[in-house]
Amino acid sequence: MEEKTAVQSEFSYLDSFLKELHAQNPAVLLGLVVAVIVVLFTIVFFQVFWSRKSTRNAILLIGLCDAGKTLLFSRLLSGKFKRTQTSITDSSAIYKAKNDRARSWTLIDLPGHESLRPQFIEKFKSMARAIVFVVDSAIFQKEVRDVAELLYSLLTDSVVVKNAPTLLVACNKQDITMAKSSKLIRQQLEKELNTLRVTRSAALSSQDGSSGGTSVPLGKKAKDFEFSQLPMHVEFVECSALGGGAEEAESDMEALEMCLARVA
Amino acid sequence: MLDFFAIFSKGGIVLWCFQGVGVTESFTGPVNALIRSVILQERSGNNSYTHNALTLKYKLDNEFELVFVVGYQKILMLTYVDKFIDDIQLHFRDRYKNVLEQRGDLKLLLNNFDFKDDFTRLLHKAEESSKSRGPVSMKPFAESQKSQKTVKSMIETKGGDKGKEPSGKGKKGGKKEAPAPEPVGVDAQKGGAAAATVKAAENGSQNLTQEEIVAMNREKFFGKKLRANKEKTSKSPKPQKPKGKQKRTWDNGGSSTKELDYSNSNGNSSHDASGPSGDAPADVMGVHQLDPMKGDLRPVDVSSEEDDDDDDEEEDVTAVADKNTKKGGIGGMFGMLKGLVGSKNLTRKDMEPVLEKMRDHLIAKNVAADIASQLCDSVAKKLEGKVMSTFTTVATTVKQALQDSLVQILQPKRRVDVLRDVLEARAQHRPFVITFCGVNGVGKSTNLAKISFWLIENGFTVLIAACDTFRAGAVEQLRTHQRRLNSLHPPDENSGRSMVQLYEKGYGKDAAGIAMEAIAYARNQGFDVVLVDTAGRMQDNAPLMTALAKLITVNLPDLVLFVGEALVGNEAVDQLVKFNQALADHSTSNKPHLIDGIVLTKFDTIDDKVGAAISMTYITGQPIVFVGTGQTYNDLRSLNAKAVVSTLMKA
Repeated sequence: MEEKTAVQSEFSYLDSFLKELHAQNPAVLLGLVVAVIVVLFTIVFFQVFWSRKSTRNAILLIGLCDAGKTLLFSRLLSGKFKRTQTSITDSSAIYKAKNDRARSWTLIDLPGHESLRPQFIEKFKSMARAIVFVVDSAIFQKEVRDVAELLYSLLTDSVVVKNAPTLLVACNKQDITMAKSSKLIRQQLEKELNTLRVTRSAALSSQDGSSGGTSVPLGKKAKDFEFSQLPMHVEFVECSALGGGAEEAESDMEALEMCLARVA
Repeated sequence: MLDFFAIFSKGGIVLWCFQGVGVTESFTGPVNALIRSVILQERSGNNSYTHNALTLKYKLDNEFELVFVVGYQKILMLTYVDKFIDDIQLHFRDRYKNVLEQRGDLKLLLNNFDFKDDFTRLLHKAEESSKSRGPVSMKPFAESQKSQKTVKSMIETKGGDKGKEPSGKGKKGGKKEAPAPEPVGVDAQKGGAAAATVKAAENGSQNLTQEEIVAMNREKFFGKKLRANKEKTSKSPKPQKPKGKQKRTWDNGGSSTKELDYSNSNGNSSHDASGPSGDAPADVMGVHQLDPMKGDLRPVDVSSEEDDDDDDEEEDVTAVADKNTKKGGIGGMFGMLKGLVGSKNLTRKDMEPVLEKMRDHLIAKNVAADIASQLCDSVAKKLEGKVMSTFTTVATTVKQALQDSLVQILQPKRRVDVLRDVLEARAQHRPFVITFCGVNGVGKSTNLAKISFWLIENGFTVLIAACDTFRAGAVEQLRTHQRRLNSLHPPDENSGRSMVQLYEKGYGKDAAGIAMEAIAYARNQGFDVVLVDTAGRMQDNAPLMTALAKLITVNLPDLVLFVGEALVGNEAVDQLVKFNQALADHSTSNKPHLIDGIVLTKFDTIDDKVGAAISMTYITGQPIVFVGTGQTYNDLRSLNAKAVVSTLMKA
């Protein structure tokens, strides 16, 4: 309390009292200065502490439109099947990891539509502890270039690279017969990202001169790109949020939940 | 009657849905189409949308972040739907208020929203009410519009001699002129004609983009004319008719005829000086067909004008001043404090002045006028009912929302990576074909040269097809570019192969044929990219547009780029709409190839008036692939949505 009042008085009567203080005992002056420093220090400490705590505790669901992010969101949280539509905004909820520590994360489902995606990724990327990159395995062949482009933009983002969140590539919709396996998806993505490295570096710079702003090069220069070159931990998981096709069927996401449980 | 009714959160989780009896197909497809093509494209001004055989109507609840969508067969004209959605929204909110107010989105997953009983009850009620209303009984005369206007209609009959004229604008102008010193028909007509030409010029840019509104206005106008005619059948003298016809030809002639008109007025009467200058503003305001324009620019003033038929400029000025002072009052200290403290729901009324300001700001930045108002409407719809957090003002909230919307619009809706696509085409051993189209003098050939330079730098071989067989010097221009590009990248450095070649067949030939030969040639010679340069054409020139559509249908290019200059204002809308329309109309396939992307040229000349970028992407929904920013081959850029939007929002 004393400190606070001291600070207040100093602020409000700064001019008139300063001279008087000089005239006073130097011990009092020293005490005041110490008090002010202590208060400032605590404020800064708390700020850092809080910001550290509030950021980087989110698990992001990112992917193209119709990859099944919102259903995955629902399945992870409640285990229930929900019909879904194209998302217009993000949805978030507390998710308890299924391990003995039972840490709770904020699970955030980002909209996948092209005109919304960049803004939302921008907004949440600094909070990411883990990123679940949802891929539609059934039509992967058709979408491979779009998927790779999204992944490329994520992996070359300086914030993402700096924080190095765990990357889980969830190969969704494994219940469909023609779905590609996670192994194949991994190979194809590596190949595609390798091509993208070439074309993207040759892309035109944007108007204000910066090319993509804060991007960092992807992987190791001389070698073909592999996911193992990345600073973050990358894992490929097969899952099926829908389950056996029928609405009531159990979903098949144990592998994904296991992986999420391992996120430290 | 209803095919489906769905209630879902903005996050995409369906809370409750109803499917009509005998409806088998899922509503997911149509609703997704609605979201992607209306809500996400900032076209929410209108709340209905047609998808195949279904009409969808929707309502956003911004407070609880919900969307209500109803769908029914297009052929059914259900009148109760709008009110029904409102009712459902109210009931749903009331019933699940406690649940919806919880934080986080878990509530949406855990709770079971069983709304069926309420829904069936409300639906039954709505259907009953629509049935019981039955055929509308006839209005008694006392309630009719006709009985309302006695004096006015008198005035109309007086000047109504001109009402017989085929040009509607002329008639209206005449009506305004009636109280003038000389009520002689000739004079009034002339004034009306002058106004009409001015207005026609102004309206020209808007007419076709808002076809519906114009059609509506026209209907309204014809109705009026008929009524007017009925009232004064006995009075209207016939000799006026031929003069009216003359004037119609002036109408269509455009601006040059205006001079003609002035000279006429000089010779004819003493009224000349006051005629054009005094009448013009009054006519502009008064003419009914101007409605769309009026709505965009300053609806407040015009409505105040319409009330008193006696037009007086000074009165207008005072009225405007009044409005301004009122506005200033609201934005005062007290209002600011009130806005800052306490959270409350945004209402349309709160936002109106801010939106008005934003709209003017956008227009000042060269965004096409009707697009600016559509955007503002959409933002209003997105914000209505939203709870403002403490320490934010209405102005900042609206501004932020508008900024988000603008970024959203400029964000490409699909992957834009020409180099990747060219690589793909190369893997398939075929050339990647890009066609450039646009109006005259926007820089098609110049930017084509820049793009070929960029492609060559990236190691692709380019064939330029000179399909501008009309403009003198077009082929020579391309030849010059080709020589220069080849000298920059000499064949010796590229294993003896010249990186760029020109494919030309001289002037006067069929462009589609030349393009086809060029593509065949490129395939044989192993070129990576074919750039097809077309002749510039006005969007109204039907034969040329048909030719362009033919070129595109025959050759099936991978990319059709529309080249537009950043200087363009309202005209952007017209150009793009008509180009797209022509490509759609003249195509034989049922899935016509429309414009895939935009090249925005002369971007270095416009300083901060970057509105054209917004106008163009909003209309087509297609990305701006390249931006031309100068005279050299290096001056080609990609668009930075954020930079453009921040320039746009800068005061």
